[in-house]
Amino acid sequence: MHAETETAARENLVLVLTSPVEPETIDPDADLAARYGLTSLNKVLFLTSLCDETGTDLSRFTEHDLARMTTLREVVDAVTPSTVEAV
Amino acid sequence: MIVNRITANAPTGGRISFARLDGTETLELAELHRRAGRLASALAELGIGPGDRIGILAANSLPWVLLDLAALWLGAETAGFEPGKFEPDQQLISRYGLRLLFTDRPTEAAGALPLAEVDRLVEKADAAPEPVVWEPGQVTTVKFTSGSTGEPKGLGATAASVDGSLRAVQDMFHHRPGDDLFVFLPLSLLQQRYWIYSALRHGHDVTVSTYEAAFATLRRARPTVVMGVPAFFETARRHIEARAARSGKPVGEQAVQLFGDRIRYLWTGSAPAAPATLRFFNEAGLPIFEGYGLNETCIVAKNHPGASREGSVGRVVPGKEVLLDADGVISVRSVHPVNDHYAYAAPGDSEKVFRPGGIVRTGDLGLIDQDGYLYILGRADDVIVLENGKKIVVRPIEERLTSGPAVAEAVLFCPQQTELVAVVRPTHYPPDEAAIADALADANAALGKDERIARAIVAREPFTVENGLLTSQFKPRRPQIRAAYAADLANPQEGIHAR
Repeated sequence: MHAETETAARENLVLVLTSPVEPETIDPDADLAARYGLTSLNKVLFLTSLCDETGTDLSRFTEHDLARMTTLREVVDAVTPSTVEAV
Repeated sequence: MIVNRITANAPTGGRISFARLDGTETLELAELHRRAGRLASALAELGIGPGDRIGILAANSLPWVLLDLAALWLGAETAGFEPGKFEPDQQLISRYGLRLLFTDRPTEAAGALPLAEVDRLVEKADAAPEPVVWEPGQVTTVKFTSGSTGEPKGLGATAASVDGSLRAVQDMFHHRPGDDLFVFLPLSLLQQRYWIYSALRHGHDVTVSTYEAAFATLRRARPTVVMGVPAFFETARRHIEARAARSGKPVGEQAVQLFGDRIRYLWTGSAPAAPATLRFFNEAGLPIFEGYGLNETCIVAKNHPGASREGSVGRVVPGKEVLLDADGVISVRSVHPVNDHYAYAAPGDSEKVFRPGGIVRTGDLGLIDQDGYLYILGRADDVIVLENGKKIVVRPIEERLTSGPAVAEAVLFCPQQTELVAVVRPTHYPPDEAAIADALADANAALGKDERIARAIVAREPFTVENGLLTSQFKPRRPQIRAAYAADLANPQEGIHAR
């Protein structure tokens, strides 16, 4: 995972969970809905904030893309700009 | 009636937008009207006419809106089915007597057409036919309401009831050119289509999105009004508070970041909103107005800019009368009732709710203050009678449990007639049992002896529409929750016990 995006993802995820979960304890491969109670509304808020911080255009994604992002790792991989991945 | 005017008269202004995550499609309302008329022509060629029923089972979209308007044009009824709750199969078509079913889901049912077919029908159609004139008592649409058990109940809504509600809303909120009403709840809920009818009648803009995309599309749409439900606004509130705390910027600034910079007001209904959430938005500079109504009554009362009182659901709207019996149970008399019976329900259901003279027994408990504001105290069905005969209204107790950070939702039961037990959804998983115990202690400290909650059963998963524990309007389905946790509720050893 791209380190900067991952850090931003962890920090923004715990904000929408509004819980005492520590960012670094989030299992990158856990189902965010099942393990952390992430609702579909909060998922969009999380993605919106993350895209804002990382300068990613949220309109790159469709509702279908969002539905397929179920873990932190999948979110980070989707949001990380392709130019960064290629480096 | 407005339903007749919006097909008979082409609008001269206003736009409708469809906002998805990946982009927004906008067209002039005049163009929407033109396409609806052409679709009406195409549907007429397919044999659709007055009294026929068209089913729509699809996510919010332009074709959804066009089908609804074309049906109004032809005097045909619509039946809006929420995806996920209904399947586009032969049984649906037969059960609800559908001449055609349009769906964006895969199906091989005879009589079903893909939603994408709407575009083709519009293109190939001739000029629009003369719109049908609706009579006040005719049913324009069948709406579905969650039953406590089994199949949803179907209720035909009369043209006059739609007209009455639209007029009452307009008298209170004065929607006008320059307004843009943001709609994201399913269009299968009739009230969400009101805002499109309102746009066609009053020339304001309307933006249609989806539940999943709403928070991402809001600030792009920059609406002046957001039509929501408590669960939506409570999620927004938590987000805004968290962003404000993280950034150190004012709450109002974060609210604008989420909702855009043009909000005139926020609309909430369908379920009780937490008082703290209402106060939060009002203090953040986004006035929020709660109301009250059921599918069977449509809008009964509503706070609005001209008359709003904290804790109430507003004054009773013109055309409605609230009748309270000796126990405080609310019945509603309507000048133009939604209907006097369910079209689809179990035997006896209609008789329980609909009374002669346009009266609906709601089952809710309420009171009206000296200035005419209505307060909802709970559901008559949600009153627990203890073995000592004392009646406990559960909602205020549940609100106490959810007022802190640990418990997101609570539903109270009295399994043994001796102790109150809450099934609680924690704000996060794995649950923080100590924090839930604190929430129990805090609630109990403020409650009377008979209202004390003995223990809390932690829900194994969130209550959702998908697992059948919430209605489509995000109200807890108590019988289903009770059934899901029956063993835990009955076992006094289970759960987190009050200190």
